Amino acid sequence: MVDAARQPLIEVKAYTEVEKVEGFVGNFKVTLREKAKYVRADRCNGCGACAKVCPIEVPNYFEMNLAPRKAAYIPMSQSVPLIYNIDMDACIHCYKCVEACGPLEAIDFSMQDKIVEEEIGAIVVATGFSHFDPTPMEEYGYNRYPNVITAMEMERLNNSAGPTAGSLIRPSDGKKPQKLAFINCVGSRDKRFVESCSNFCCMYSIKNAVLVKQMYPNIDVTIYYMDIRTPSKGYEEFYNRARAMGIHFIQGRPAMITEDSETHNLFIHTEDIALGKVVEHEYDMVMLNQAAVPQPDQNHMSSVLNVAQSPGGWFMEYHPKLRPMDSPTDGIFFAGACQGPKDIPASVAQGSAAAARASRVLHSKTWQIEPTIANVWPDRCVSAQGRACGICERSCPYGAIDYTQGKAAEVITAKCHGCGACVAECPHDAITQLHYTDAQILSQIRTLLADKPEKKILALRCHWCSYGGADLAGTSHFEYTSNERGIKVMCSARMDADFIYEAYRLGAGAVLYSGCHQQDCHYITGQVIGAKRAKRLETIFERMNMTPGRFRVEWISAAEGDKYARVLNEMQATLDAMPEADLLAEIERLRPEMAKRLSRLPNIPGVQRALDHTQVVVNTILSREGAQ
Amino acid sequence: MFKSGLADEVRALPGGENLEMCYSCGTCTSKCMIQQKLEPEYNPRRLLRMVMMEMREESFSNPTTWLCSSCDLCYPACPQQIHISGVITAVKKIAVQNGQKTPLHTAVVDQQTCVACGLCAEVCPYEAITIETRKLPYRGSIPVAVVDPGLCMACGMCGAACRSNSISIPADYSDENVVESIWKWLNPEGAL
Amino acid sequence: MTDHKPKIAFFQCHWCLYAPEDQEWVDRRLPDNIRLIKVPCTGRIDPLFVLNAVQGGAEGVVISGCLPEKCHYKEGNLAARRQLQEFSSFMDYIGYDEARLRFVWLDLQDRGRIQRELADFENQLQQLGSAEALAARQPLEEGGAHE
Ligand SMILES: Cc1cc2nc3c(=O)[nH]c(=O)nc-3n(C[C@H](O)[C@H](O)[C@H](O)COP(=O)(O)OP(=O)(O)OC[C@H]3O[C@@H](n4cnc5c(N)ncnc54)[C@H](O)[C@@H]3O)c2cc1C
Ligand code: SF4
Ligand code: SF4
Repeated sequence: MVDAARQPLIEVKAYTEVEKVEGFVGNFKVTLREKAKYVRADRCNGCGACAKVCPIEVPNYFEMNLAPRKAAYIPMSQSVPLIYNIDMDACIHCYKCVEACGPLEAIDFSMQDKIVEEEIGAIVVATGFSHFDPTPMEEYGYNRYPNVITAMEMERLNNSAGPTAGSLIRPSDGKKPQKLAFINCVGSRDKRFVESCSNFCCMYSIKNAVLVKQMYPNIDVTIYYMDIRTPSKGYEEFYNRARAMGIHFIQGRPAMITEDSETHNLFIHTEDIALGKVVEHEYDMVMLNQAAVPQPDQNHMSSVLNVAQSPGGWFMEYHPKLRPMDSPTDGIFFAGACQGPKDIPASVAQGSAAAARASRVLHSKTWQIEPTIANVWPDRCVSAQGRACGICERSCPYGAIDYTQGKAAEVITAKCHGCGACVAECPHDAITQLHYTDAQILSQIRTLLADKPEKKILALRCHWCSYGGADLAGTSHFEYTSNERGIKVMCSARMDADFIYEAYRLGAGAVLYSGCHQQDCHYITGQVIGAKRAKRLETIFERMNMTPGRFRVEWISAAEGDKYARVLNEMQATLDAMPEADLLAEIERLRPEMAKRLSRLPNIPGVQRALDHTQVVVNTILSREGAQ
Repeated sequence: MFKSGLADEVRALPGGENLEMCYSCGTCTSKCMIQQKLEPEYNPRRLLRMVMMEMREESFSNPTTWLCSSCDLCYPACPQQIHISGVITAVKKIAVQNGQKTPLHTAVVDQQTCVACGLCAEVCPYEAITIETRKLPYRGSIPVAVVDPGLCMACGMCGAACRSNSISIPADYSDENVVESIWKWLNPEGAL
Repeated sequence: MTDHKPKIAFFQCHWCLYAPEDQEWVDRRLPDNIRLIKVPCTGRIDPLFVLNAVQGGAEGVVISGCLPEKCHYKEGNLAARRQLQEFSSFMDYIGYDEARLRFVWLDLQDRGRIQRELADFENQLQQLGSAEALAARQPLEEGGAHE
């Protein structure tokens, strides 16, 4: 931190909040609230005379409220920049500090929050994590038993700069404890609270145990655990060292802590899994290694930054394996635990990666995006005619659409990732997607179904997953039906209902609607939109009494080549099981239904022309087939 | 090792669905008081494991299958949110279907004095008592309380509720034994 | 205050003491004037058991069971509460001070509470004086031997 503050090209804005982020990669406009410190940065020399005279004491948040601080304070001794701050909620306006500051005249009670706007090229988010409060876990008695403390409190007690100057004492009587226990997974790996593993608690509980043991070899230290997870370099060795030092490890998740109300000693009740027996052990002090949870304001930050959140509430990365430091929004990057719990080495690695990514943005004059962006035809957008709609805006996973009733919707090109959700969702066909226009895809469908359509299975595949799955099926030589005809779009969100109606109108035997599994989607929530539409279609076809299996929805990852082959073979079997006459009759019966839903097609710009051209191709195919 | 589909059978019964989610943390065993207070071999975590491992006979004869009283102390404590007593009840049900008998001293009705008022059936937490018509010596065809030993947990509530002293649990906690122990203490010479 | 150690009948449900230390104390180190009567559940306590104890000369009755929602037999202690609370007002009616009957609902984490409750109850009984006030009561026929 000190290094960062000294570096001339880095400006540290302490005590400042991000209020609003507008614009796009390379051109963000960020609104900041520089909160009033009531101490002028240009005059304060950090001498601390104000804190010495201040008569008010409040709990010190940084010391986990284990120690007091004054109303005139610095958050911690290594604060950067070293400028004092007056806590107006606690201040009684005695002005002793003003007197103590004397001729420096750094204290200024008239200061106000300042709103500033900055032009920013790239943003690295490193807002970290917060801690699960174990109070609701009655069984452990946190906040009821004085000698049950959390790991964060332990960190402060163990710290030579902490409230006890590093000497380990227990809160109830200030005595040095003789028997200590750590309980892992408090709130984590627990479906009642936080389902996920918090990643670093195993290691820091071993670290804290080792620190205690090194300082006071006679203290008896026990760690209660379900599993010890030591996946990184040197971690298992560290764990072994801890065992060799005589730290006890008991496998078993304690069901309860009870307390002797006179001595305030604690009793941990657990099943010692190795023994298969319920045991009760007495301790002077118990540390709860609580779960890591997202910051309390994570939801708010996610809407300020317009970045999505993963199911646990952490910020969601662009891709979990390939782009873990990028947010789905270009120009915004993640570093550290805000994207998911991780220890210091992993946070530092991600931070450096994010910085490198950000500098790429800062050093580019132009920014390349995927060419498959969406575009609105302003004359077709009903909003331009004053009608309320905004379906496109709601469907865009990236917030890339600017919709105001009365004006044609507009795609902010730099924000568009080209999933095609808005294109397929727009009920007025007012949006198109470069390289995946309706005209292009409808032409493909028509060509593929030119000859004997009832024998064909039209497979709609997404670029990232099911297309990869089909590819893998091929390269792995998984055999599947040769009647499959594939069409690739970027995302299942682009699979317009019209494409499927058109396929059936042309007489397709069956249609496969396939894309990524939800968690693998490359467009944040694109798959969700695609899946919703698929559900809708399934109901529609069911009501039409279409033979089950002729329309199939499957989520197939790029690694599931076998699944792709199996699904197609099953679809082929469904078709084979149907007498041809029945199939043809069903196609004829449904054709007018489908046609009814497609009456708008020819009006979409370019579609009629493309289909006219396609007809030439179709005729050629038919004449060649016929000639054979 | 995998002889039959016991795990599948258990999962198919209501309450048994989440069987496989157990990651053997032991919370249930230490939250439950049966191992400490009654039966050292009692261990719900192990029973779940045995069922997963298809140990059919061992599961049926295991004391855990029979002693769990469905108090559900463990359920809110289970980090995997498994309804443990639901699983155990499912195992017990299959065990009963397979002819296994409960080791508990379940409630006994004196059919000669029962008036079929139904108070016992009302208080029984396990719905183990029903009123059924039976043909009895001296009394003819008459409705009386009937206990299902596969459901009864021998808590003795019925005995406390019965106004005609017609139902009770035998052995240690019978009316006679409890009253006698009180009198022995208060009037050492003149016990019942 | 007298040194008189009042006779206390102490009904304990099998399950309500979680800490092994507490159970050990109840099982083996209970003072002589307190008689432990174990039952599987407070729901097992027939009001007649309590009546018997009182008629036999017990000066106080303690009933300890699990917390309402934590009954080992699902809802046994709820039934006990209903039944015994009613019963205690009946006792009051026949002249046996309600204060001589105490219910203790123990939570799992109430380590060491039963010792305190019993000591406190004993104290309370000593203040109420010996139970001679109950002389009016007639022994039950079959209970016989009392005086
Ligand atoms: C008890 C304990 C012991 C640990 N011990 C170890 C260990 O020994 N070794 C190890 O490798 N790891 C350890 N860890 C893990 C370690 O704490 C994390 O890996 C690390 O803190 C993650 O760093 P970070 O910068 O991502 O987040 P943080 O350290 O959480 O930092 C985030 C920062 O962002 C600030 N912030 C948050 N929101 C905003 C906002 N909206 N605007 C401006 N600023 C904001 C916060 O004030 C904070 O200063 C331990 C964790 C715990 C809980
Ligand atoms: S508490 Fe739940 S997860 Fe843990 S051993 Fe019992 S059933 Fe399994
Ligand atoms: S439900 Fe069964 S296993 Fe669970 S605590 Fe109660 S008696 Fe024990």
